[in-house]
Amino acid sequence: MPTDVSENLRNESVIVTAVGEIDLATSPALRTRLQDAIGKHRMVIVDLSDVTFIDSTGLGVLIGGLRRVNEAGGEMRIVIADPRVLKIFEITGLTGLFSIHSSLAEATSA
Amino acid sequence: MREREIVELSIPVGADLLVLARFAAATIASRAGFDLEEIDDLRLAVDELCVSLIEEGDHGRLNIELQRADDLVEISCRFTSTSEVPPNGSRPDLSEGLSDRILDALVDEHGKRQDGGHEQAWLRKRRIRQ
Repeated sequence: MPTDVSENLRNESVIVTAVGEIDLATSPALRTRLQDAIGKHRMVIVDLSDVTFIDSTGLGVLIGGLRRVNEAGGEMRIVIADPRVLKIFEITGLTGLFSIHSSLAEATSA
Repeated sequence: MREREIVELSIPVGADLLVLARFAAATIASRAGFDLEEIDDLRLAVDELCVSLIEEGDHGRLNIELQRADDLVEISCRFTSTSEVPPNGSRPDLSEGLSDRILDALVDEHGKRQDGGHEQAWLRKRRIRQ
């Protein structure tokens, strides 16, 4: 799973973009990207629009990231476009923990 | 007549090969007549089954057996460690507990048992949609 970090300086936010499948092998890369982003920017947007699979290791990385963002006084938003990915957040109850948006445009304008 | 198929996989931990287990589960589920959503459920379930046996930094092999009997799929997974140094006991970032919750939602039954001195995780899922 390639990850990409793009930075939106105008809105003082950073967008961490992941594509493909987030699992035991690929979630460490996402964790590294998140750790780099958190603390440098108040708003961290994790764009999972092009993610087709995520398991508990990926969810754990996001939970850890949210905790660090909150400790730093920032905010995290997640973009999910694939209903299969959203389903995993729903069955684990994480839709109540994260601020989830259906598009990057919605996440950056909210 | 009860049609039965058994597929066995042995994959190394640490390489990006859990995708093979997910592919095998999807294929078995398709052959059992599962619909697309049920196939996706089983892909994630077998992944969670494997992840539940591994700690970060582990090295070794996952031995996975996938069985199909008509519309019932049973999957078992056993991890054999080759690590010289015991893992540090940490699960990747707070994911512990999520595996069970995911498996509870996606399959009919799941659990763990001892098999020849190794811990084995298993699940069962029957096609529910006609």
